[in-house]
Amino acid sequence: MSTARQSQQHFYDAMSYFDEMFDHDLSVRPHYEAVNRLFSRLKPSDLALRQHALEQRMMEEGITFTLYAPDQQDPLERTIPFDYIPRVIPHHEWEMIDQGIRQRVKALNAFTFDIYHSQNIIASGIIPRRMVVGNRYYRPEMAGLQVPYNAYMTTTGIDLIRDEKGRYYVLEDNLRSPSGFSYLFKGRTLMSELFHDLYLSCSVQNIEHSLNVFLGSLRALAPHGKRDPLIVLLTPGSFNSAYYEHTFLAQQMGLHLVEGRDLVYKDHKIYLKDLRGLRQVDVIYRRIDDEYLDPLAFHPDSLLGVPGLMNAYRAGNVAIANAPGTGVADDKAIYAYVPDMIRFYLGEEPILHNVPTYILAREEDREYALAHLDELVVKETSLSGGYGMLIGPTATSQELEQFAAAIRANPDRYIAQTTMMLSRAPVMKGDAMTPRHIDLRAFSLMGQDLHVIPGGLTRVAMKEGSLIVNSSQGGGVKDTWVLCR
Amino acid sequence: MLNRNAEALFWVGRYMERAENHARLLDVHYHVQQEGLAEDAKEVQQGRKWARIVDALGSRQAYEQQYGASYTEADVLHYVTLDRDHPNSLVCCVNYARGNLRTLREKVPSEMWDVVNGFYLWLREQRQEELQHGSPHEFYQRIKEWAALFLGTSQSVMPRENEWHFIECGRYLERSENTLRILLSIRNACMDEALDTSSGGYAYLQAVLKSVSGYQAFRRYYADNIAIESINEFLVLHPAFPRSVYFAMHQMEDHLRGIGFQDAQLRAAHGKIIRQAGKTIAELSCLEREDLAGDPGGEIVAGLLHASQVLGEAFAKTFFRMGEASA
Repeated sequence: MSTARQSQQHFYDAMSYFDEMFDHDLSVRPHYEAVNRLFSRLKPSDLALRQHALEQRMMEEGITFTLYAPDQQDPLERTIPFDYIPRVIPHHEWEMIDQGIRQRVKALNAFTFDIYHSQNIIASGIIPRRMVVGNRYYRPEMAGLQVPYNAYMTTTGIDLIRDEKGRYYVLEDNLRSPSGFSYLFKGRTLMSELFHDLYLSCSVQNIEHSLNVFLGSLRALAPHGKRDPLIVLLTPGSFNSAYYEHTFLAQQMGLHLVEGRDLVYKDHKIYLKDLRGLRQVDVIYRRIDDEYLDPLAFHPDSLLGVPGLMNAYRAGNVAIANAPGTGVADDKAIYAYVPDMIRFYLGEEPILHNVPTYILAREEDREYALAHLDELVVKETSLSGGYGMLIGPTATSQELEQFAAAIRANPDRYIAQTTMMLSRAPVMKGDAMTPRHIDLRAFSLMGQDLHVIPGGLTRVAMKEGSLIVNSSQGGGVKDTWVLCR
Repeated sequence: MLNRNAEALFWVGRYMERAENHARLLDVHYHVQQEGLAEDAKEVQQGRKWARIVDALGSRQAYEQQYGASYTEADVLHYVTLDRDHPNSLVCCVNYARGNLRTLREKVPSEMWDVVNGFYLWLREQRQEELQHGSPHEFYQRIKEWAALFLGTSQSVMPRENEWHFIECGRYLERSENTLRILLSIRNACMDEALDTSSGGYAYLQAVLKSVSGYQAFRRYYADNIAIESINEFLVLHPAFPRSVYFAMHQMEDHLRGIGFQDAQLRAAHGKIIRQAGKTIAELSCLEREDLAGDPGGEIVAGLLHASQVLGEAFAKTFFRMGEASA
């Protein structure tokens, strides 16, 4: 078994955490052999050349996201930090993840259906009513509504992490409008073109087919089984930080990229205003939140949505993906109940486990958490993207006090979790590998069938020691390879 | 204009188009790999892939004379790209185009010579090792950029006279032949690999679309229906897609009509070749999707390819009178 070249020159710490590429004794894990072979062979000058080519391509193709900071006058347009050492997942490990994601998404979808219909899970006393109806993402408008194939969540992104033993855990479920598809597909293109030698020497599961499945899932939603549906991607506009992703998906799948003002409601239908006049829209893949969809139904000040959209939706003349109200299932407090959902709806034991979670609305949980705040991670249930988070072990005493006060004031709004030792993978810094914490966003696509994109998006906390992988907080990405065998 | 000038212009158009097509085909096929195959099966499949590229862009016989019977990535890339002994290689195409333009320098705007000369000088410096060691994608991207520079320059500076129409006739005739050759190679690939569209087959069909920059356009018309029948229909019959056979043939006919002659005898011959092009287009227009789908032997595509070749010969006979000197 080979050992990393870097280990002879630099200290590489594979001891403190689970490392994806190296075992504790710095031997290379078998599924990383090819990667190690290539990177041991490349000279620093080669690495610099490839790094340069990579950055150039990302700039030229405009693979960027926009960062809004309060102290900045002009928003920053950044290319996402992309590390070119791929994350490799062995075949058998992926089989397990694939099964686990399917199981979880099925249960979450069944839960959403149940909540908007007979609410059996509440009647059975498994989830308290107030956690559901008091949830800010619960949409009473959706009650009793029929969704095609009962597929509420056309797209999901489930975030997975690994602990110090390499066991996988679900960190959170993103069921509203998960983003990251473009980095996943674009990252693969860049890697297969700039690291063609490595890519072609490994048998990597193809992901291109998944885009076709994505489009197929959207088409399947078309009301009345229309054969050639008009599908639009509804974006908040070019100022949105994920606008690159919206343009990418629209381009790759041949969708019309529209803003709210391009659509109009008439006679319980939604129309696209284009040069040929009004054309009826059948499916809306929306990348805006529920409350902005329709100013008549939700947020009256919203300029992003389409007045009347919910009427057309209720009349069954247009499909929306993901369906409004799926947020009820990805709330951080509901998260704690997902294992119970899996048992309740599917009668199975969860394949992927939750991170141990304390529900602060419960008194005993709250007392424990307040006493151990410096060991826990606290999250505000309704926020995402790494905002509103306290990481106990690294927080200052002032931050700890602030959160303790906030939890006492509004216990329902917070959960606490055991601090997980996120696994690490090497990134290239200059010409040496250095470990960084990572997670994995696994995407599923639901139409008539359920499909999990092989690999997903590996997110990297680019700052040394940091546990925050969100791109809005300086996180980067890696291409993720699932081996065929 | 002299006959030989006309012929040289016609071939400038053809060679530049051919160079671009080589680059597109190689770039995309280089990156296709079929997943889930065992190591040795993968090697066999790779060998077949490279052999098909030789089929599409050259001849197996000539290849095997020089490189032997094994079709490896390094050999085939060299044969098709930088081999100066292979008349159909990229470097030879550009060299011929440059040679032709050299004889036409007083007849075409000097910018066009500058571009082709620069292209050739750059290509001459390229080495096989660097091509493979660096990024083949970047390399072929550069080729496409040079070709686009030539196209853009001619578009913006050439007077729309006979010279222009000859170049464009060459370009579009070449384009329709290339698209048809790609279609034949799909058919062969399907026979070889018994492709199904679930995994490896899908990657291959998608690669075909990308090689003609047709992926995004195809999506707009056929959505998620990536299947051989739809791709056949799209690449043969689509009226708006600029690399379809239908589009290329129509463009060629337009430019053919644009050529003007004083001489009565030439005018008669000109009329004849226009009618011949019209006949091919009429046949094309009568094709239905079902005809193409029910063509597993590829007779229709082969027939169209033959018709294109006959048109090329007719060009030579009508305008150049000396047979195809530089096919």
